[in-house]
Amino acid sequence: MDHRAAVTGAAAAAGTGAPGPAGVPGRELIVLAAGREMVLHVFDAGLACCAVEVAAALRGCPAPAPVDDDGRAEGPAHEPAAALHVLVVAGTVTDKLAPLVLRAYRDLPEPRRVVSFGACSNSGGPYWDSYCVTKGVDQLIPVDVYIPGCPPRPEALLPGLRSLLAGPPRPGEGPPGPGAGQP
Amino acid sequence: MTPAEIVAEVARRLPGGRCEAEDKTVTVDVPSQDWLAALTFARDVAGCDFFDWLTAVDEQGSGFAVVAHLYSIEGGSHLFTRTLVPRDRPVLASATGVFRGAGWAERETHEMFGVIFEGHPQPAPLLLPDGFEGHPLRKDFALAARAAREWPGGKEPGEREPSARSRRRLPPPGVPEGWRDR
Amino acid sequence: MAGSVSPDPAAAGGELPSVERVTDLPARSRGVIGLLEENCTVCMLCARECPDWCIYIDSHKEQVPAAAGAPAGQPAAVPGQGRPRVRNVLDRFAIDFSLCMYCGICVEVCPYDALFWSQEFAYPATDIADLTHERDRLREWMWTVPPPPAHDPGAPPPKEALVAGTLRGRSARPAEGRGGPA
Repeated sequence: MDHRAAVTGAAAAAGTGAPGPAGVPGRELIVLAAGREMVLHVFDAGLACCAVEVAAALRGCPAPAPVDDDGRAEGPAHEPAAALHVLVVAGTVTDKLAPLVLRAYRDLPEPRRVVSFGACSNSGGPYWDSYCVTKGVDQLIPVDVYIPGCPPRPEALLPGLRSLLAGPPRPGEGPPGPGAGQP
Repeated sequence: MTPAEIVAEVARRLPGGRCEAEDKTVTVDVPSQDWLAALTFARDVAGCDFFDWLTAVDEQGSGFAVVAHLYSIEGGSHLFTRTLVPRDRPVLASATGVFRGAGWAERETHEMFGVIFEGHPQPAPLLLPDGFEGHPLRKDFALAARAAREWPGGKEPGEREPSARSRRRLPPPGVPEGWRDR
Repeated sequence: MAGSVSPDPAAAGGELPSVERVTDLPARSRGVIGLLEENCTVCMLCARECPDWCIYIDSHKEQVPAAAGAPAGQPAAVPGQGRPRVRNVLDRFAIDFSLCMYCGICVEVCPYDALFWSQEFAYPATDIADLTHERDRLREWMWTVPPPPAHDPGAPPPKEALVAGTLRGRSARPAEGRGGPA
């Protein structure tokens, strides 16, 4: 599979509000946090071993709506109250792949967040001394949450996603939907 | 072909080659001008129809040893073909004419060691980013990161800063001797 | 508390599971490392052996006066201590969990059992500097360290038991070569 198509196609799919086409990473999760309902469009940039753990974590969360074999939602369309696009960078970011990760971030529609999953994308991890590894994806893009581990357990993704929602909405992003204004 | 048969055939057809056999594995060392002959022999005579990998070893003084691992699926025997190219002129014929699968392996060996494969259809870098200088897997390419960063284990117990009194004057792990003072 | 992570039964599909505490983790699961400072003698072995260089230790030496010379009201380190001794005092012990690869070499190599594995895995941070845990936070992890699991069935007997068995055997046997009744 052409990695470039996977990266940009999934980011575009995440923007339409529909689950990504079958076989392309991208997952919708509905989150109930502090009385606010938000939809997280999680795009998993799975670059190395951590990708397996993120895939396990996302697969453990049931889909928001039943989908047919082609990945299209069945039944009445679900209109999300508020959506947050989350790029989960999981795995070693090599210098060769760095431009593609940057492109995935740029293609991600607003409002967007970045989660760094695992030691390699946090800081280069065990490969910090390598001649061709970017020492942390925060050298390329702004990171909102760092999840430590090598690899972190799949369950470790969830506290990280929750802490994304902990802060107030950013300027220009508008209120988060039903229950807005409540603590 | 059994390993014993391979050894016998090598003696007959590759007069310049030395051969060792151990269990199911045969290693054939040939001079660099016989490299393609050795690979063709492996494919056509020894029945090694599976090309596994090709890489190089930096032997420092004597040059680069280029090694290919081939496997016979029916016979279950492994064959390593090995040759040596000099350091100042690391040129070898490309194996892509014999095994198409050698294409990417030779691209990687070229960018990691600097070995030039003549006749390669697409000699472009494979894994290293554009603009990368040097050949990282050569022994004289030191990992600058380990030399530049202060080793937390370099302090003696009871020190806040590593000092001249530190008994541990060894360079940190991964840094060649004397590289740190440059 | 429920065992594995499961979705909140009252929620619609697609909810993030609300039960984040996983209680059926396998024994010896590696989540985070805790430091028991009382056991640490600042031997620096963990900092030296860490392959990632992610343990940062600062210390200084202090002299502990002998029992006889101790000023009034200040006890000597050991009652009856005859001469002044020097001991290492830990100033800083930090583990950078953004680099840590959870290999456990530091826990294994510590001769004084000052480092322990804990199963806690949920400690994300919004600032990468918060992933460097200092002494106080490493001590907090100690309260989450599980009791050591039982040996697996069929495991070799622990070394301590073997050594103890040998010592008992040696003292029971009469000394050889000393003459007298065997």
